[in-house]
Amino acid sequence: MASNTIKPEDLQAHKKVKFLDEAKRQPFLLISSALLLIYGIIFYYIPVIGWITAFQDYKPAKGFFGSQWIGLEKFKKLFENKTFYLAFRNTLAMGVINLVFHFVTAIAFALLLNEVRIFIAKKFIQTVSYMPHFLSWIIVTAIVREVLSADGIVNEFLMNVCGNETAIDFFAVKGYFWWIVAFTNVWKETGWNAIIYLAAITAIDPSLYEAADMDGASRFQKMWYITLPSLRPTIMILLLINIGNVLNAGFELQYILGNDVISDVSKILDVFILDWGISQFDFSLGTAAGIFKSVIALILVCLGNFIAKKTGDERLF
Amino acid sequence: MKKTKIAAVALASLMSVSAMAGCTKTPGATTGTAASGETSGAAPAQVKEFSAFFAVPATTEINKDNEIQKIITEKIGAKCNETWLAGQQASEAVGVFIASGEYPDFINGGDAMKALYEAGALIAWDDYIDKYPNIKEFFSDYEWSQFRQSDGKIYWMNPFENIYGADKTTTQNGEAFWIQARVLEWAKYPKIETLDDYFKVLEEYNAANPTTHDGKKNIPYTMLCEDWRYFCLENAPQFLDGYPNDGSCMVDVNTKKIMDYNTTPTAKRYFKKLNEEYQKGVVDTGAFTQTYDEYISKLSTGVVLGMCDQWWDFAYTVNDVFKTQDTEKYGYNYIPLGLTIDKGMENQWYTSGGTLNVSSGIAITKDCKDVEGAFKFINDLLSQEIHDLRFWGVKDVDYKVDENGLYYRTEEQRKNAADPNYKTKHLCTYSYFPQWSGTSRDGKNAMMPAEQPSEFKDSLPEPVKKVFEAYGANTYIDILGSVNKAGPWYPMYSYSNNMKTDTAGGTAWTKMGECKHAWLPKVVMAKDFDKTWDEYMKAYAACKPEDFVAEMQQELDKRIAAYEAATKK
Repeated sequence: MASNTIKPEDLQAHKKVKFLDEAKRQPFLLISSALLLIYGIIFYYIPVIGWITAFQDYKPAKGFFGSQWIGLEKFKKLFENKTFYLAFRNTLAMGVINLVFHFVTAIAFALLLNEVRIFIAKKFIQTVSYMPHFLSWIIVTAIVREVLSADGIVNEFLMNVCGNETAIDFFAVKGYFWWIVAFTNVWKETGWNAIIYLAAITAIDPSLYEAADMDGASRFQKMWYITLPSLRPTIMILLLINIGNVLNAGFELQYILGNDVISDVSKILDVFILDWGISQFDFSLGTAAGIFKSVIALILVCLGNFIAKKTGDERLF
Repeated sequence: MKKTKIAAVALASLMSVSAMAGCTKTPGATTGTAASGETSGAAPAQVKEFSAFFAVPATTEINKDNEIQKIITEKIGAKCNETWLAGQQASEAVGVFIASGEYPDFINGGDAMKALYEAGALIAWDDYIDKYPNIKEFFSDYEWSQFRQSDGKIYWMNPFENIYGADKTTTQNGEAFWIQARVLEWAKYPKIETLDDYFKVLEEYNAANPTTHDGKKNIPYTMLCEDWRYFCLENAPQFLDGYPNDGSCMVDVNTKKIMDYNTTPTAKRYFKKLNEEYQKGVVDTGAFTQTYDEYISKLSTGVVLGMCDQWWDFAYTVNDVFKTQDTEKYGYNYIPLGLTIDKGMENQWYTSGGTLNVSSGIAITKDCKDVEGAFKFINDLLSQEIHDLRFWGVKDVDYKVDENGLYYRTEEQRKNAADPNYKTKHLCTYSYFPQWSGTSRDGKNAMMPAEQPSEFKDSLPEPVKKVFEAYGANTYIDILGSVNKAGPWYPMYSYSNNMKTDTAGGTAWTKMGECKHAWLPKVVMAKDFDKTWDEYMKAYAACKPEDFVAEMQQELDKRIAAYEAATKK
């Protein structure tokens, strides 16, 4: 190919030929990406049509076309509702706490696990740590409830070892709830989240470590000056993706573990949508709240991306 | 190599297709097989299978090969697979049905029936009722007319609390302050009239007997506040003031005006009492965070001396546990008390004559392929033979008949009827389909075993029998000593249960609920009660309860007018 000289008029035809050539060689890739595209359209783009119900007084019996158009009335109703702001605050707080814990624990865990020398021990720890990821949230809530109950293991420990006189009702103290949620997320997801970092670590050029050894770097210094900077692009990309999920701060945990005493801190947007949208058959209001969530998520992702661009880091677009 | 790739692609596309197919199918929404148009005659060759969803958690989920269900199916040629609410609220589940647009053959959406009607999901009954005598007979014309919706048609019937022939009610099915028989026995059966009397007895008993028979620490008083079941905490003030269970408000019988029970002096005194008792450690500290399941298991161990609740909310489960675990003899069963706020007041905890809640019931949906068959199914379930099978069981196996034709059960048969395993494999009550209480069509027996006078008496645990003797009572209702003054509008909750945020009154109602959920625990636990109460009242006033009262007033006026029009004729 290098010996051929390419004239501008041939370029177009050449590109076409090259594309077909390429296509012939990788039908599997093409078909699988086409499937993915179809999947995306069906499950992510078509449902957005439902957004028009937010601007209607939507009644299922009348459908999209029969329902009355009411403009931004539902949004007005949403923003007038005090519970909505409470739920928004709680969602944001729990989302941010979860995000920070997610990253700090997963990265720290990956770094530490990477330093374990005995192969079997490493594999064993890794397997054990990511197992909870496969439990459904319903099971996890039951475990959390049991562990923190009046005769659960935590209270037994506090009473028998630390000398507490009475059991603490963990679900009756507002100050605890966000941290219970955060800790449960850490317990369930850290091992799983660390996998991607462990994979990224294996891709780091070993010659860097060898050079560092020659320079007499300690294990901690190697971790700090080589492993961590090499992970930076991975971290940035994952961070950007996850920023969009801040308002998806979970549902089952708050829905099941929340109660009247701590509802001021436990009620999140998704529960609000259930209470004021689906339970009231006010699907329009629920949709409006959903749109609000999406808009905030989009803004957060764009903002994060913009900052990454400015600092010259890896970014999404 | 290439072959495996192609196979992989085929497999992947197959999987994505099947994933999509999985999405279009709603669980529990499989429609009946609707065999033939046959509506009469002996059992048709092919069994009709219906599906049903009930927006309440199951008390018993029967096995697939349940024995009595099989017998009923053979006799009437149809069966129904029941699905129950699990881990959701009724309105959420119904909301999901409406959003998906697919329904089972039968549906009981609890308080969300109006929404189903508005979504066009239900079949109108008007053309069918006359064809099915057992259905027709279930309500009087006036009662049926109360079910009419805005288009003037009937779409559902309430299956419960309807009395055939002579009233044989023995149990307070509704709300009361309950107290364990052992407490009454220890206190030598005192007269307990007020809230103060009640807590005094609980405290004194607990001081003298702090544990159960197996050494567990007593909980003198607990209350359930989970979700919609928080009525156990919030609606006692209406009863304490001597009003019946209108559920969401009180009605002044003389002026015919709606009153709010949340802000009355009685409400304040009631919550202040709870607050005092909470500070003393008499009220269960875990009360506000317990789930329904935890509450029931607490009661089942016998540690709870008293609580405010409705019979159906706890007794079916808890009493059965006492029976099967053989702990009845310790006096753990609960006795209802008709408390009032002051001495010498009349109470209306019990309202006689059955309660017609027109806001909920069983309906047939537009997805039902065999509407006539569905009506026939309900009709057949109400025939005496099948009704006996549903509630008494199989003759000589579950009950016996004496020389006078009266049904009775042996102790073993009673134990069986309370045993969860026996219930799932043998008994089939179709518990949310229409059913009678009162007297059987044979004129002798009761429709329900629990209402058979001899059976009721014999099945009472010893300690409860002693309580009845001490107070000179024959039934639980006698102990309450309620008077009956409920007007033709009763119960008002059949309207408020259906209120949604699409009206000003409904929005206020929803906000009031949210406000009470958030504040009542604070009020009860507060160190400074009066200050917290004032804050609560401020937050409550911000919910605009006057909008709610105004809408209820409209409904009350409408009901009174409808009743007057109907009785004039």
